[in-house]
Amino acid sequence: MRLARRPSRAPPETIVALIDVVFFLLVFFMLIGRMDATAPFDVTPPVAVTGADMPSGGMTVSISAKGALALDGLGVTIPQLDARVAQALAEAPQTLIRINANSAVELRHVLPLLRRIEGLGAQEIALVVTPEQHDANR
Amino acid sequence: MTDDPAQLLHRPKRPKALISMVPMIDVMLILLIFFMVTSTYINLDMIPALERSADATADPQPTQGDGGDVLMVRIGADGTPTIRGQAYAQTDLERLFADRIRQDANQQVLILPSGSANMQALVSVMDTATLSGVTQLQIVRLDASP
Repeated sequence: MRLARRPSRAPPETIVALIDVVFFLLVFFMLIGRMDATAPFDVTPPVAVTGADMPSGGMTVSISAKGALALDGLGVTIPQLDARVAQALAEAPQTLIRINANSAVELRHVLPLLRRIEGLGAQEIALVVTPEQHDANR
Repeated sequence: MTDDPAQLLHRPKRPKALISMVPMIDVMLILLIFFMVTSTYINLDMIPALERSADATADPQPTQGDGGDVLMVRIGADGTPTIRGQAYAQTDLERLFADRIRQDANQQVLILPSGSANMQALVSVMDTATLSGVTQLQIVRLDASP
């Protein structure tokens, strides 16, 4: 009499390795990524090697290559920008205002804006730069 | 062999895991995708354009250094830095700044950019000045009179 051999069951795949890999990737992306609001247009910051580390917080004014404005990721007009920056500075005068201007934007779009923000009472204004060459940044 | 149920051997059942791992993996995967999609990975730095201390009462006015004049750097519409009508390449500009700083550590540099120059040109001149050791750096702009 021949006894039928029971089909061998494949060993259950361990999910511990999967959890390890996913957890590692999660921590990796959390550490190297920035959660800043991105502008609704492409902004390639100018290249500079003498920039200092940029602290988090504050407000970011983005300027596109054609002079369009965005404040913390939302497109704004100059009066809207003035109102929101003035309100933020009234609540916290030490708020850092970051100017994230495209490297190709003409300075006639940037310098008057710096003057306006300074006139609103800003204590700290910083230009956003990058130490590396990039094609585009959102 | 007997069919007496009392003599059958029973394999003990494997204890069921108290906490299922599947929801945790789901949450981790969602978080992973969220951070991958929403984060930006460009390396950003900043150059201070205005730092007003609390006890500052007025903007610093251009003053002469101990040993030389204020150095005025114009930036043309094409981004070329010009000093007293002479165009400078970045390396020459850096050398000039370094020479001036050797003569006067408090050498003041004013940058007068054209409104048609681009942002990169201004930042490049500021970068060059900072690399050369210039600490007194100001950007000036000509406003149209009303």
